[in-house]
Amino acid sequence: MHGVGRMVLRRLAQLIPVMIIATFVVFALVFLMPGDPAVTLAGEFASEARIEEIRALYGFDQPFLVQYANWLWNALHMDLGRSLFSNEEVSTLILSRLPHTVLLVVYALILGAVTGVPLGILAATRQGTRLDKAITSFASLGVAVPNFWLGIILVSTFALDWRLLPATGAVSIFEDPLQAIYYATLPAFALSTNVTAVLTRQVRSALLEVLGSQFIRTLRAKGLRPHAVLWSHGLRNIAATILTVAGLQFNLLFSSAVIVESVYAVPGVGSLISYSALNKDFPVVQGVALVLVVLVIGINLLVDVLNSILDPRVAAST
Amino acid sequence: MHRVIYDNTLRPSRRSVLKGAAALGAGMMLPHGAMAQDSTPRRGGTLRVSMPYNPASLDPITGRNLPDFNSLFTIYDALIGFDDTTLELKPMLATSWDWADDTTLVLELREGVSFHDGTPFDAEAVVFNLRRGLDYARSNVKSDLNGVEEITATGPLQVSIRVGAPNAALPAVLSNRAGCMVSPASVQAAEEGNIDRAPVGTGPFRFVEWRDNDLISVTRNDDYWQGPDLPYLDAIEFRIINELNTAARTVTSGQADVALNLAAQQIMVARRSEDIIATATTSMTYYTAFFNYARGPLADVKVRQAMNYALNRADLQQVLMLGLGEATSTIFPSEFWATGPDAATHYAYDPDRARALLAEAGHPDGLVIETLSWPDQAAMQRTEIIGEQLAQVGIRLNVTPVQPAQAIQVFMIEEQGDMLISPTGGNPDPSLAYDRQFSGTALRNAGKIELPGYRELLDATLSTLDFDARREKLLELEQFVIENALHLPQYMSAGMSIQTGKVKDFTYGILTAPRLEAVWLDEA
Repeated sequence: MHGVGRMVLRRLAQLIPVMIIATFVVFALVFLMPGDPAVTLAGEFASEARIEEIRALYGFDQPFLVQYANWLWNALHMDLGRSLFSNEEVSTLILSRLPHTVLLVVYALILGAVTGVPLGILAATRQGTRLDKAITSFASLGVAVPNFWLGIILVSTFALDWRLLPATGAVSIFEDPLQAIYYATLPAFALSTNVTAVLTRQVRSALLEVLGSQFIRTLRAKGLRPHAVLWSHGLRNIAATILTVAGLQFNLLFSSAVIVESVYAVPGVGSLISYSALNKDFPVVQGVALVLVVLVIGINLLVDVLNSILDPRVAAST
Repeated sequence: MHRVIYDNTLRPSRRSVLKGAAALGAGMMLPHGAMAQDSTPRRGGTLRVSMPYNPASLDPITGRNLPDFNSLFTIYDALIGFDDTTLELKPMLATSWDWADDTTLVLELREGVSFHDGTPFDAEAVVFNLRRGLDYARSNVKSDLNGVEEITATGPLQVSIRVGAPNAALPAVLSNRAGCMVSPASVQAAEEGNIDRAPVGTGPFRFVEWRDNDLISVTRNDDYWQGPDLPYLDAIEFRIINELNTAARTVTSGQADVALNLAAQQIMVARRSEDIIATATTSMTYYTAFFNYARGPLADVKVRQAMNYALNRADLQQVLMLGLGEATSTIFPSEFWATGPDAATHYAYDPDRARALLAEAGHPDGLVIETLSWPDQAAMQRTEIIGEQLAQVGIRLNVTPVQPAQAIQVFMIEEQGDMLISPTGGNPDPSLAYDRQFSGTALRNAGKIELPGYRELLDATLSTLDFDARREKLLELEQFVIENALHLPQYMSAGMSIQTGKVKDFTYGILTAPRLEAVWLDEA
């Protein structure tokens, strides 16, 4: 485990510079975006003088680097500031919204895994059959279908026509876990189709590669039953692939959540960051970006740690 | 009269909708009573509202946008109220308001009113609030109270406001943000006087919670001065859902009782549901294009008039508002008190006249207008159709899409481009509406010039305090703006909402700033 410990330490040391670079880039992008928050803040019928006043009041008249340095200084003191437009504390906003998004993403990942992995195995073990072709086509479709469109179709069928599931909204998992899962089902399903599709394809091709390799042929020649070959040797060897793909999907799901959350009116960080970015609400965008950077780095680290446990060669090579 | 442009409780067939649209075109109106129910109001229940906009603030004077009033008017009462359908002023926290002389407005206040924190509402509280509107650094109502020089408590329940010059618009200003009364104790207790998220008013509901861009909940004020029956509801939950189709779906799926601030598309879709009531009512918001008439081609009145004659407003309204709006050449709906009978139809579609005017102006082969427009789909669609209509007479638009906030910077401050296509409106007083669009100080007047005669006409509307005489002055000003073609008005928007049948006595109102104390739920 020596290698694993060193890897964790090295990743943690990378965290701080990555956070600074990422928030700096985000800050710069928001800054470069056209539009002026002072104009929005001043209201519909403001005078030019009032807009100038607001600029000074909020410090928008200061140079870009000074504004970023101010933000960073406060962030280092655990103060992410307040939303420019609603005056809510950014930390409160993130804490109230992140659980909704994490629930959706984890739920979608589980749905994707429990469907994608078996489908991939089925396709690989029945290579060339009609079933394989059907599964592969289905997977291609899953990658191609935009999830906002699927989301709307699901709502109109399951929520509006059949009234099985709620059309919009979310319940906090801390208040009522069962209701939270009930509300998250449709959006999580809409999010999960991509995961299902990608996992199916990856598992299929990885498994085909393993099953076609020399050592599997040797095992078969020794007379090991096909079942044991698949479960003890085939799948064990693609576990790392599954984990890596799932880790990547986890990160991608956060970006897909932006659109699905708006279709289902889920008050998560996805809708928060899109709304704030459009309004140039600097502090909120920065805060969310910071949290997402930490999350993504954390997930990548977790995947690497798990991989190195599954396969000691990974730890040795990193 | 307030007009319900579309209300599907009438359950019209497709043919009757078309007939109705034709009838509206001819100036006929559907009776407002179409929605009236004869059952008596019942107490209790929680109204679930969906609305697309998160308020910027629940402090009336630091907030910014019209839809904020959905929640503001549940928590706050203003000094002066207004009639939902005509915008005529009526008593609220002030029982009367009279001009003692040309520059002194005297308010008599209602007795026995208290704020939600138990502190009394009195003359001192009014002085505190109006001073705060003028002095607080973050106040967005400073310009509304422009010209107010002195505010004095001249009795325990009497306040005198002295203005530098006569200002007939002041009472209407006091029916809006600047007149919403906040508990002085709550402001004094708040850090830096910031009560954006801790609103305490005298309104029918008390503030409970605001989860940003998610939920605002308020609960019944049992000590409401219009009580003991009002408000009928126990509580209201405002769900903030930015996407309009999603917001509308909350009602069709039964998760909300009413959805506000929708667009024509959602009204048309909701109409297909049997148990949903979709209404579009007259509003004070209008679609126009602001001109920079200080320079360039639009400095010539003939070019501006040609553009106005080149628009087929009836078609625009039919296509872009799906027939739910009103084609107009002015800035108010035709039933508003300060608009003349022929103002809306002044520029009848006349492409030949437009071409002739262009030729007279020295552009027989047409000309190019540098145009700014918002980049969203609806705005681009609007711009394309307007551009197509103008192209028929030889006016070509060179369009640059810009975000709304950027548009203000580019067009109004940096003075680039000849015109900006944009909706506007929602002012409580007609003089204010003109002042904020056409005065030299108005941000929307990009060229920052006033045509000769404008200032005298505007001042007359402010210094004439008698209602009927003022109305005459306002009609003169309206005529001046129309004849000089100071902008390119297209059509009035509508206040659009959908609701279930159990929501009773909800009216959106002409300002789309609904008051919900008289709304009740028929749970049976």
